[in-house]
Amino acid sequence: MDMRLNNKILISNAVLSLFMMLVTGFGLYYVVNTTIFYELDSHLLQHKQDIQKQLQENTSTLEEIILLGRLGSYEWIEINHYDDSFPQNSNHFSTVDTIRYPDITELSEAYRKLETTLLVRGEPHLLEIYEEVAAWERISMTVLLSVLGALFLWVILLYVVNQFVFGRILSPFYDTVDRLEKISSPTQVGEPFPETNTYEIRVLNRALNTMLSQIKSLFEDQKKFIQNTSHELLTPLSIIRQKTEKILSSPEKMDWKSIERLNEIQHTAVRLTRLSNALLLISRVENRQYEMKDEICITEVIKQVLNELGDFVELKGLTVKKKYSDEITITGNRELIHSAQYNIIQNAIKFSQEGGTVVITVGDGESEPVFSVRDGGPGIPEDMIDRVFDRFKKGEKLSGDTDSSPGLGLSIVQSICELHGFRCKAENNAGMGVSVSIFF
Amino acid sequence: MRALVVEDEPLLNNELEEQLLEEQFTVDTALDFARAEDWIAGELYDLVLLDLSLPGGNGLDLLKMIKQQRNSEDTAIIILTARGEIDDRVQGLELGSDDYLSKPFAMPELRARIHAVLRRKFKISDNVITIGRLSVHLDHLQVSFEGQQLEVTDTEYKLLRYLFLNKNKTITRIALAEHIWGNKIDDRFSLDFINSHMKNIRKKLAETGVPDLIETVYGIGYKLNGYEAQ
Repeated sequence: MDMRLNNKILISNAVLSLFMMLVTGFGLYYVVNTTIFYELDSHLLQHKQDIQKQLQENTSTLEEIILLGRLGSYEWIEINHYDDSFPQNSNHFSTVDTIRYPDITELSEAYRKLETTLLVRGEPHLLEIYEEVAAWERISMTVLLSVLGALFLWVILLYVVNQFVFGRILSPFYDTVDRLEKISSPTQVGEPFPETNTYEIRVLNRALNTMLSQIKSLFEDQKKFIQNTSHELLTPLSIIRQKTEKILSSPEKMDWKSIERLNEIQHTAVRLTRLSNALLLISRVENRQYEMKDEICITEVIKQVLNELGDFVELKGLTVKKKYSDEITITGNRELIHSAQYNIIQNAIKFSQEGGTVVITVGDGESEPVFSVRDGGPGIPEDMIDRVFDRFKKGEKLSGDTDSSPGLGLSIVQSICELHGFRCKAENNAGMGVSVSIFF
Repeated sequence: MRALVVEDEPLLNNELEEQLLEEQFTVDTALDFARAEDWIAGELYDLVLLDLSLPGGNGLDLLKMIKQQRNSEDTAIIILTARGEIDDRVQGLELGSDDYLSKPFAMPELRARIHAVLRRKFKISDNVITIGRLSVHLDHLQVSFEGQQLEVTDTEYKLLRYLFLNKNKTITRIALAEHIWGNKIDDRFSLDFINSHMKNIRKKLAETGVPDLIETVYGIGYKLNGYEAQ
C-alpha cells in the first residue's frame, strides 16, 4: 500500500501516544487503588489494636465498645461470639457490598472489612471492622478519568502539531520527490535540485544533481559519439562503393564468382551507408540540431513525396487513395517532416502487394489532427507491431532480407515525431494492411 | 544524376533545388556546414552548388574535402559567391572548382553553367549526345531518334541520360538506382524497379525502330554501346 512518509510517521506517533496514554491511565488507577487499600487495611489493623488495648487496660468494657463501634459514620464495629467459622489469631481482609441499615435503605455500599478474633476475658470473640470504600473509589475513578482525558487531548494536540511540523520539515524532501516524478528523460532535468538546510536532504539533492548531470553528459556524449561515428564511417564506405563500382564497370576479365562477391560488397557498403545516414539523422534529431521555424502544409509534402515515389507506385500497379477531410499546417522542420512522411509512405508502398491500395488520410484523428497511411499488405504479426518503431529489432540482421523488414525508417519517424511533440502509432487493420499514423 | 545544394539561405536553397529537379537531377540539400560535410562524406555527386559563407564553417573547406576524397573529375563544382568576393572566387577556382556564379544570378545563367560544366566533366562538345541516331538532349531534357522526339518518362530520361554520359561503361544497378532516386530509397526495393524501367525503355525504343544499344551485363547492370556520331 502506498503511504506518504509523513502520514506513516504521524500515524505511528499517534498509535504510540494512545498506547502510552492507556498504559499511564490504567497504571495510575492501579497504583492509586493499591495505595488506598493499603492505607485502609493499616487503618483497620490500627483500630483492632486500639480495641485490644482498651480491653486490656480495662478503660472500656466490651459492651461500651460494641455500642460505640456501632455509632461511627464511616466505619462501624461488630463483635460477636466466636463460632469456629474462622481460624483464631488471623486477620482476614475483604471488600464487601453490604447494607448497613436494612430498615432505612436498601442501597448497598462497598466496605473494606477486617475479620479477626479477639480474646475478651479469656473467651474468643469474632471482631468485624467495616470501613467505607465508596468515597475512595470515586476519587480514584475521578483521577483515572481526568488523567485519560488530559492524555487524550494531548494526543490530539500532538497529532495536529506534528502534522504541521512534519509537513514543514519534510517539505524540501517532498519538493525533491515531486521533481523526480516529473523527470521523463535524463536530458530534460531542468533546474538542479535546490540546496536546503536539512542535512540529509541536502546530501540527497546533491547526490541527485551529480548523478543526473553525469547521466545527462554521458547520454549526450553517447549521442555525439553516435553522430561522429556515423559520419566517420561514411567516407570509407563511399570509397569502397566507388572502387567496387569502378571494378564492376569493366567486368570483361572477371569470372562469375568474383562479380558475385563484388556485388555483395557493393550492396553491403550501400546498406551500411544507409544505416549510417539513418543513425546520423536520428542523432542529429536527438541532438536538436534542426531549426523548427518552417510553416509546413502536410498535404503539400505528401504531394512532393508521392511525386518522388511515383515510379514505384506505378510499377507496382498501386492505387493511392487520398482522403483529406481537413488541411493541416504545422510549424517544424520541413526537411524532417518530409523525411518522416517519405519513410511512412515508402514503407506502405514497399509492403503493399502488387495492385494493392494505399490509403492516405489527413484530417481529424482521435482527438488531434492526424496523418495516416494504410498499406495494402498482409499486416504485421501482433507481437511485432509494438516494436516497429524500435531502433534495432531482435533477429534483424544487416545482411538480412531487407524486403521484409522495415529497417530504421520508422525509428526515424519516431524521433522526428518526438522532436516535434507529435505522437506516432502503428496498428493492424481489421480488413488488411497496417496503418501508420502521426497525431499532431 | 545527383546534385548537392549547399546554401544557407533557405529561400535560395529551395529555389536552386527546384531548378535542379527541373533539370532532372536527384537533389540533396544542406543549409549548414555540418550537414554538407555529412553528405559529401557519404555520397558521390555529379554536381555541387556551393555557397562559400556558411554557418559552421567555410565552403572552401568543403571544396577541399571533395577534392581530397574523389578523383577530381568525378564531381563538378560551381561556387556561389557574393559580388566582390574576388579572393574567394580565385581561391575556389585554384582549389579546383569548375566555375563560379556571383549572387544574385538568373536561373538561365545557372542552367547554362551547369550544362557547360557537365559537358566538360563528361568530355562532350555539345548539349546533344547522339549515339547511333539516338540523341539525348541535355538542355531540352528530351530523347529523339533521327530528329523525332520520343515520349519518355522523367525516370526513363534520367536513365538514358546517365547511360549516354557513361557510354561504353558498365553501370551497376545500384549506381543507376541511386542516380535516379538518391540515397533515401531502400536498395533491394529499388533494384527490381531498375529492371522494370529498363524493360520499358527497351520496349519503347524497339517500337520506334531504334536498334538495341543497351546491353544487359548479367549480374551487374547495364551498358550503352556505341560511339558518338561526329
